[in-house]
Amino acid sequence: MGQRKRVNVQSPVPCPSETQPFSPHTHSSTEIPHHTHAFNTSGHHGYLQSGKHSICMVSDFFYPNMGGVESHIYQLSQCLIEKGHKVVIATHAYGERRGVRYLNNGLKVYYLPLQVMYNQSTATTCFHSLPLLRCVFVRERITVVHAHSSFSAMAHDALFHAKTMGLNTVFTDHSLFGFADLSSVLTNKLLTVSLCDTNHIVCVSYTSKENTVLRAALNPDIVSVIPNAVDPTDFTPDPSCRDSSKITIVVVSRLVYRKGIDLLGGIIPELCAKHPDLCFLIGGEGPKRLVLEEVREKYQLHDRVRLLGALDHKDVRDVLVQGHIFLNTSLTEAFCMAIVEGASCGLQVVSTRVGGIPEVLPDELVTLCEPTVSSLCVGLEKVIARQRAGKVPSPAAIHRQVQTLYTWRNVAERTEKVYDHACRQPVLPLPARLRRLRSHCGAVAGSIFSFVAVINFLFLLFLQWLFPNHLIDVAVDASGPGGRWGRGFGKEESKDPIVARCAVEDTRRLKC
Amino acid sequence: MAEKEEFTDISGKTIKLSCQNYSPFCREFTISSAKLSLGRVMAFTCTVWLLAYTAFYLTQNTAVLSGAIFVTLSGMLLHIHFVKVDHETLLVVGSLGVQLSAAYASGRESTTFIEMSRIKDIVINEAIHMQTVIYYLCILLKDPAEPDGVSSVVPLFQSSKPRLNCLVRVYRSCQEIIGQT
Amino acid sequence: MVLKIFFPRCCNMADSGLLVGRWIPGHDSAVVLAVIHYPFIPGHVKKYLSELRSQIQVDLTVLGSWSLSKDGQKEMDGFLKDLSTIFPHSRWLQLSREPGKKGFACEVVRKNGHAPPSGEEDKIIFVHYDQRKVMLSQLHPIHENGADVESSELRAVFHTVSQSEPLFLLDKYDDGPLKLTHWQSDGREASIIVELIKQVSVPVCILLTSLVCWWKWLWSFRVLNIWPVPFISSKLSTCVQAGYRTDHFQTVFSTRKATTHMDFMKKANMFVSFFVDIALGLLLISWLYRENRISQLANTLVPAADHVAKELQELLEWLMGAPAGLKMNRALDEVLGRFFLYHIHLWISYIRLMSPFIEMILWYVGLSACLGLTFALSVLSDIVALLTFHIYCFYVYGARLYCLKIYGLSSLWRLFRGKKWNVLRQRVDSCSYDLDQLFLGTLLFTILLFLLPTTALYYLVFTLLRLVVVMFQGLIHLSVDFINSFPLFAMGLRICRPYRLSEGVKFCVLHEEPGAPLHLLMEINPLQCSSVLQCYRTETSGCSSRDSWLALCKKLFVGELIYPWRQKTTKTD
Repeated sequence: MGQRKRVNVQSPVPCPSETQPFSPHTHSSTEIPHHTHAFNTSGHHGYLQSGKHSICMVSDFFYPNMGGVESHIYQLSQCLIEKGHKVVIATHAYGERRGVRYLNNGLKVYYLPLQVMYNQSTATTCFHSLPLLRCVFVRERITVVHAHSSFSAMAHDALFHAKTMGLNTVFTDHSLFGFADLSSVLTNKLLTVSLCDTNHIVCVSYTSKENTVLRAALNPDIVSVIPNAVDPTDFTPDPSCRDSSKITIVVVSRLVYRKGIDLLGGIIPELCAKHPDLCFLIGGEGPKRLVLEEVREKYQLHDRVRLLGALDHKDVRDVLVQGHIFLNTSLTEAFCMAIVEGASCGLQVVSTRVGGIPEVLPDELVTLCEPTVSSLCVGLEKVIARQRAGKVPSPAAIHRQVQTLYTWRNVAERTEKVYDHACRQPVLPLPARLRRLRSHCGAVAGSIFSFVAVINFLFLLFLQWLFPNHLIDVAVDASGPGGRWGRGFGKEESKDPIVARCAVEDTRRLKC
Repeated sequence: MAEKEEFTDISGKTIKLSCQNYSPFCREFTISSAKLSLGRVMAFTCTVWLLAYTAFYLTQNTAVLSGAIFVTLSGMLLHIHFVKVDHETLLVVGSLGVQLSAAYASGRESTTFIEMSRIKDIVINEAIHMQTVIYYLCILLKDPAEPDGVSSVVPLFQSSKPRLNCLVRVYRSCQEIIGQT
Repeated sequence: MVLKIFFPRCCNMADSGLLVGRWIPGHDSAVVLAVIHYPFIPGHVKKYLSELRSQIQVDLTVLGSWSLSKDGQKEMDGFLKDLSTIFPHSRWLQLSREPGKKGFACEVVRKNGHAPPSGEEDKIIFVHYDQRKVMLSQLHPIHENGADVESSELRAVFHTVSQSEPLFLLDKYDDGPLKLTHWQSDGREASIIVELIKQVSVPVCILLTSLVCWWKWLWSFRVLNIWPVPFISSKLSTCVQAGYRTDHFQTVFSTRKATTHMDFMKKANMFVSFFVDIALGLLLISWLYRENRISQLANTLVPAADHVAKELQELLEWLMGAPAGLKMNRALDEVLGRFFLYHIHLWISYIRLMSPFIEMILWYVGLSACLGLTFALSVLSDIVALLTFHIYCFYVYGARLYCLKIYGLSSLWRLFRGKKWNVLRQRVDSCSYDLDQLFLGTLLFTILLFLLPTTALYYLVFTLLRLVVVMFQGLIHLSVDFINSFPLFAMGLRICRPYRLSEGVKFCVLHEEPGAPLHLLMEINPLQCSSVLQCYRTETSGCSSRDSWLALCKKLFVGELIYPWRQKTTKTD
């Protein structure tokens, strides 16, 4: 162990022995795509000629952290790799998990050592992440940078750097925001700056699109809507797991304020008093767990309210199938994957009518209520009555209906089109970019960020002088047109325990 | 016997790889980096002495000057004894083991020998080093408790840090020998 | 397949004969230990080997033949080949060396007689080793149990050579049925003195052990085990040091022989550090009891203590006014200040009372240095602790007051927010309070909050004073700990005999000729100094990790007592 000095140790990449994987003269300038030049708008990579992209997904949120954004990035990347694109993911280091790792099918993940500030989001200075991100973009010959989630500082940084380096950019917004309080005003300003010269923006629902367009003052034409998806084969109904003598309400979510856990704390005693055969099954962990525990102790509902704690992703289905009704009490939600999962397992879904939720499921599958205790109770009672009367469709029927609604392949196809579109658009050169910033973001913020952009550009020039592009080794492609996964690469790789260990199956721990 | 080739390290400096074939199962790779340049030594010495002379001019204390001489001398000694690596050698002997050694500019050598029974494989790996992502060659050590596991990773050529094309050369030769046994 | 032959360098020029050694199971390698010269009777060889085998528990066999061809010995080759039928074997090595050439030639004969099929011919590596160094060296990290020895080839080689020591005792000038070549020691005569010392050391050890037993028995008296004595003695560093030294003494002079390497090294380290410690202590005494230094010391010590007390008095007076322009709660300030002033008054009178006797005390206490420098330092630390007892008292009072206020404030703050601490579940619950409860709580909270700065200031000042004293004591303890735990013997061994403690081996290629077997030279790679320290340092309580800096800061902030106080086991709130 003494030898491990300054080098972080990661999963090894054995190099293929037969074929010549790397161009033998990487320092001859013809081999190196000069796509890092800021004024270069016409990328002349092999990727564009073959119609395939080399995509870098950037977000602060990725496995081993758990949540909607994380699984979205993972599933989308897997489907894009299946379609022959090259995908790498850049995120920040999670504890001991730093360096370069490979997930299934040659999905390469860079866990970059950036300082985490708050809530798994990195600290940003607009500049300090440039050397590392530039290195990743250059060595992986990236053509499209796809940033995820507006909460992620790293995603915004990456967008900023990518534009400085002259790469095409796409941004996916996963959340809704308000307009009223100070923090939203500031975040919205930053979002405006960040998105004003991004090539294309993707939102997960129409509500979210509306919200994003308003917040960032965007042209609606460059915003597309691509919903999330669930893997229907993971969430199959199994009515035999239910206890038919009782009616079980399942809640699976992180126990935080945003998910409306305080509402849940109000609903539980009211309904339990009315229906003696009702019980609650609550999966997930979070700071609001205390609220539920207190309610349980105060009304002595220990036998009827079960708190399961943090669930692994693979266990979620086994919890869902034990219930009759799925309850979602979110206060704000751009696109609710949880209710799709619940419906896919054949449960009756009751949810709050907030954000993009009304768009997600057809009306006959979901009962929508206002986000208040009384309204939710009324909605739940209605569903309970229906359940008792047996006037509900069978779980298998619900599953069949939901099965085809949202699939990752469909999402990947639509995202591919977005990439094609984004790549046809020019990346603004620096003067045009400065003009856009000034005209679009207001005089003060525009000037400040024009200045930051200029500094960033100078910093990039400095880095290009310090570590010229031709000194950065071009990485071996694991996925994409020249991908070596499974061809001499995966052969050695698959027997390798480190890689097996970091395969995504292990990392799927649902901390909801 | 010895073939010499020139490569560059990750910061663009020229390094020499020489590969000595003792027998079909015994091979020695030596990567020698550039010697300590006189110009840099002079620059370092001049800066320290100029600073010292300024301090002397301000304080009129001769201890500053002797201190400066001491600092340059000890700094130089420490540098060539602990920091500056002249060449790094990898000796691969089939079925016996792998020996890594680094010779410092002062002549000090540090050597480690790893038996073949502890070695699982030699691979090229990626790591984040300072502000870049680099490739490096490393030895995977077997975990005695778990036959398929890797207990730790020993990086090779830590101070010369050659680029990928050089690593691939060494990697292939090593695999030839390790593959035989 | 690659065949490795570990060949001793002392046998390079040996006359022709039989190779004696061992095949290492599981690895394709053979260790050559010695060469038996002609002429011999095969029966004698077999008998000798079986005797050795039962004596050293190593599976010694005849590996093959060795021929150093000189002129006119060509006819011997046929004879050598015939030898392979006499000794049972699965593989028979035939090594030969010609005087002009550097390398050896080697032929392997299989048991079934016919040579291996072409293409699969054995490749051979000769590894030359220095028999003496390999025999004496100890591989690190140390595995004491035998199971691990077989898993690693090098360990097996080292084990084989070191176990075969009796083989090397046979002198080549002895008259016997067999003539052998191997490493042999040159200085057998000088070892008589060593033997004599060994003989003498046994009664000395018995005597000293009985002394230690008597000393321990003295300490086990009932009177010494009633409550305050063990507590106080655990806080006095002199007593702690005496305990350590007794333990060391007992280990070093125990009559049981050290069987394993680690035991031996431990004993040797303790002995040497003990020795050096006493030598340093005697040096100190010789310096201290000359030129009337004791009385000089005493004459400076009393005024110094007086001076400290006076400075403290001034500090308190300053605090009782408006320190640094802060406006304090006048009444509380007065009370606290008077309380502490009275303490200092007591302290000064105590020192006045003591001052005539100080010189005598110092004179007797100084004698403790003949037990070792560590004792002298521990006594110094204890004297400092006793002389600054007033600071310790102030610190304890300040900390207790402050701690009380902090806890009161934190629980009242919870009451403010409608929460309470649930002791059973170790968490904060919400709770609804009555109006009068809230009123009283708020009142108390306000009072405590406004009185807090005064207390906090006193606490801060005395904590800083206490920290200075603790730091000084800590320095002394560190140096005592260093002398106690530094592995002097292992360090000396590392410097004077680097091969005795080895980290592993290193190889260098001797010379290569195309077609001839490869020759490697195996050298011992000495253990790094840092690993020597890590491996052989004597365990003392100071080596174990204490509170981290962060924990210490937190303790200071909430007003918990830092050293010396007994550790709380589990904190509830």
